[in-house]
Amino acid sequence: MFFHITLERNMQLHPRHFGPHLREKLIAKLMKDVEGTCSGRHGFVVAITNVEDIGKGLIREGTGFVTFPVKYQCVAFRPFKGEILEAVVTMVNKMGFFAEAGPVQIFVSNHLIPDDMEFQSGDMPNYTTSDGSVKIQKDSEVRLKIIGTRVDATEIFCIGTIKDDFLGVINDPGAAS
Amino acid sequence: MSMEPFNRLVRLAARAFYDDITMKGDNQPKSGRGDNRGMAVVVLDALTRRQWVREEDLAKALKLHSKQLRRTLRFFEEEKLVTRDHRKETAKGAKVFSAAVAATGDGQQMVKEGEEKTKLHTHSYCCLDYAQIYDVVRYRLHRMKKKLKDELDSRNTIQEYICPNCGKRYSAFDALQLVSLTDEYFHCENCNGELVAESDKLAAEEMGDGDDNARRRRREKLKDMLQKMEEQLKPLTLQLARVKDLPVPEFGSLQAWEARANAAAHASGDSSAIDSTKSSQGQGYGGTPMPFLGETRVEVALSGVEVKEEDTESDIKATSMKVLPPWMIKQGMNLTKEQRGEVKPTSKMDESSAPVDDKKSKDMKGDEKSIQDEYLKAYYEALVKRQKEQEALKKMQQESETSRASTSDFSNRVSEALAERRVGMKSKREDDENDDVEWEEASPAGSTGGTYKLADLNVEANASSDDEDDIDWEEG
Repeated sequence: MFFHITLERNMQLHPRHFGPHLREKLIAKLMKDVEGTCSGRHGFVVAITNVEDIGKGLIREGTGFVTFPVKYQCVAFRPFKGEILEAVVTMVNKMGFFAEAGPVQIFVSNHLIPDDMEFQSGDMPNYTTSDGSVKIQKDSEVRLKIIGTRVDATEIFCIGTIKDDFLGVINDPGAAS
Repeated sequence: MSMEPFNRLVRLAARAFYDDITMKGDNQPKSGRGDNRGMAVVVLDALTRRQWVREEDLAKALKLHSKQLRRTLRFFEEEKLVTRDHRKETAKGAKVFSAAVAATGDGQQMVKEGEEKTKLHTHSYCCLDYAQIYDVVRYRLHRMKKKLKDELDSRNTIQEYICPNCGKRYSAFDALQLVSLTDEYFHCENCNGELVAESDKLAAEEMGDGDDNARRRRREKLKDMLQKMEEQLKPLTLQLARVKDLPVPEFGSLQAWEARANAAAHASGDSSAIDSTKSSQGQGYGGTPMPFLGETRVEVALSGVEVKEEDTESDIKATSMKVLPPWMIKQGMNLTKEQRGEVKPTSKMDESSAPVDDKKSKDMKGDEKSIQDEYLKAYYEALVKRQKEQEALKKMQQESETSRASTSDFSNRVSEALAERRVGMKSKREDDENDDVEWEEASPAGSTGGTYKLADLNVEANASSDDEDDIDWEEG
């Protein structure tokens, strides 16, 4: 699920950036530092949409770095149990397959793949139905449901299932090509 | 009262879930005699008929060993069906509880005099927590159903993996770390062995032969189980639905409940009952058995009628300075005159004269009042007479001196005799006391220093001429 939230961060700016473009430099650095990171609390920070406020800088003794408290708005993505996501398959093996929905990694074990799909090993390992009409392989797009999340301080990992109504492959690159 | 549906819920739940629970230490061997299955149900049933109850009393009532009972209760506490409270208390504190129990109409135990031990004992109390029971039972049902359903379509279960070599277990959450680059299996972090998926516990026993066949059989079994469960637990679910919108009976914590129950009894017990019991309990808690009353009722009583207010007040006063029964007074004791019951004969008289008239001690208030008045009149006359006899006082004093010396022995003897007369009538202790008081009062004329006594009497006379209740006299 996506959230638009306001966060705060203390930014340290090197003295060489002090000048007419200090503000722009600061925001650029903020984006570089924050976007793409993951916190267990808020999830993945996808993009900064607005910088609300830059507080008074504090020169640190000794280094000359200046600390600015910055308040910014950003889009955050946090997966929840029970959520339906669309993801791209990144790896298929006998135990199941891995998929990515943006920054988040999801594992779907072979238990949670419908019973009529069988693992086919080979050059391009995949899961295929007996009639061959549906195939899950690398780069397939699947719709899955998250049934468990493990949230660490800097990492989120999910378990998904496609063993439910309306879940499974939504576009098959093999068939298209 | 809305207790009944909840009690029924508890009884159903007890039979559904705790019927074959044995409450036994693991070290004890299983034998026919030690088989105490069903005890849990008995204990829960007993608790539905009570509110807060001391565990010793419960054990006695159930004819169980207190250790056994405690083990059961601890189990139920863990199951969140029962709230328990432990506190250190003197025998007196236990009495407060007993009074509260008596007030709820469940009191079989009588308050025994003379257990004034100052030693602290830890007493445990327990009580059903209906609100929590409702939730716990619902949750339990939900979990059972969910587990079966999940297993049925093996959905939403997070796969576990186990290393056959070192026995280390992994969950699907660790999948990212376990995946190997060389082949398509998961590998153990420790020994690099191939992990195998752990099959569901229910399936384990019949997995082995044809995978498809087993899976189908398993599904059937699960479905069967689910169906059976639903039909067998139907009464329970129905009862849950019935109870859903009812207000949950709430007893609050032990202290709160005790205070409430006592207050309720206090406020609604009629004055004579309180009067008669107060000396026996020394606590001022009314003895009329009253069913437990709701909070609202208590509030009404607190802002209640003037007369009742006075009664409670007088009780408090009475407890503040207790008259020791004569049989407790020994020669060497250092007591105030109030404690001996000597200084305020009037305060006692108004009570004592009534029970003397009818031993039931349940006399009506009006009766008491008239008797009081009569007594006062008589007393005033005696007073006037005695004032005339001032000259003779000195002589009388001398007389009293001798009688004073023998007072304690004499009182002992008298009370003994009285006690004998009333064997088995513990609850009417106050009669004894009153009689004693009366006896002490019988020789009041010179029992203490004449002048002091006179002044005292005057004070009392003034106070009583206000035509108040006995409150002021006791202060005098």
